[in-house]
Amino acid sequence: MQFKDYYQTLGVARGASAEDIKKAFRRLARKYHPDVSKEKDAEARMKEVNEAWNVLSDPGKRAAYDRLGAGFQSGQEFRPPPGWDAPFEFSSRGFSPGEEADFSDFFSEIFGRMGGMRGGARARAAGRGEDTRARVQLDIEDAFGGVTRQVSLRVPAAEASGRVSFRDRTLNVRIPKGVAAGQVIRLAGQGAPGAAGHPAGDLLLEVEFRPHPRYRVDGRDLLLTVPVAPWEAALGAVVPVHLPGGEVRVRVPEGAQSGGQLRLRGKGIPGEPPGDAIIELRVVQPPADTPRRRSLYETMAREFAFDPRKTGN
Amino acid sequence: MRDDDFLEGQLLEDAWLTLEQVAAACPVEPEWLLAHLDEGLFPQARSVAGVWRFSGAALVRARRMRRLERDFDAVPEMAALVADLLEEMDGLRARLRRAGLD
Repeated sequence: MQFKDYYQTLGVARGASAEDIKKAFRRLARKYHPDVSKEKDAEARMKEVNEAWNVLSDPGKRAAYDRLGAGFQSGQEFRPPPGWDAPFEFSSRGFSPGEEADFSDFFSEIFGRMGGMRGGARARAAGRGEDTRARVQLDIEDAFGGVTRQVSLRVPAAEASGRVSFRDRTLNVRIPKGVAAGQVIRLAGQGAPGAAGHPAGDLLLEVEFRPHPRYRVDGRDLLLTVPVAPWEAALGAVVPVHLPGGEVRVRVPEGAQSGGQLRLRGKGIPGEPPGDAIIELRVVQPPADTPRRRSLYETMAREFAFDPRKTGN
Repeated sequence: MRDDDFLEGQLLEDAWLTLEQVAAACPVEPEWLLAHLDEGLFPQARSVAGVWRFSGAALVRARRMRRLERDFDAVPEMAALVADLLEEMDGLRARLRRAGLD
């Protein structure tokens, strides 16, 4: 296991005051805020910053870390001394057991066995286990047929000694057909274990869709752009359109314009009621790349006397 | 892989989450949520016959507000204001995506 230099993570000196540490944390919390950050690895960086803050902002954890880590450099091979059990009182600084479970192995090795798990969240565990949450990323196509996905979780588990260990858990989850972005799937009894004789909590999975090269979603509606030739738009045509549920034939009405929308009722994400597929037409003209084609365009220019910038056209 | 290795999920429709579920999923104390509800900081939550119902959007909002309060010591109204702005940004980003412009 590699030593983590939390002071380096926050960019402060080892002897930094609590006030300086707080300032450094807030500066970084703003920089890597997941909703606004433009940094590519913002989420991972924020996790590291949170972990460092969790330790350095708590006097007990900081003292334990300083004592253990004296003389270690970032990335150096590290093992806590045998029988390590810090005589310090730890708080979790507003971080939940679930969030602490998401911190590094280094963190859980030192602090996971200790007081970080005490407090309000634990006190309530006297009965039914807590509900926990996780995110699952799906492809848009998955919502059409239902799919089975592996979901990996890192869960805290209290041992009989009162220590807390973290373990990885993989669940095979059947995602029901018709799931929409932002929806929550409840897996009964898959949350945190309850106290003796009490049921476990539920696991709440939040659904996200990966960006798709052709489809976009808006609730249960499926949006896609379909290119059409100028004559198809002008004269009307039946064109094949590939949807996640299979290919359909769509009638393009006579006189359609680029940007015009066609709504296919019930062809969006399945559900009660199902969403619609909304097709945006994009007129694409062929290149005038041979003398014959040039002459056809020239004929059109003469015959139509068409100025698209004039109103009324 | 045997068939019973798979878990069947139950799909929650909007406005299906209870106060306890939102609190546990954020995670926050239920009292924190109740105090913020009393202050009117959760416009998406609905009380039906005295029972609170939350949408998925309220879950995201609660998590954001809690983070702002925890990380920046933001007062609840300030956290709610930032959450309002982030929600507006979500809406605009969604419109950009729908227009294929993101």
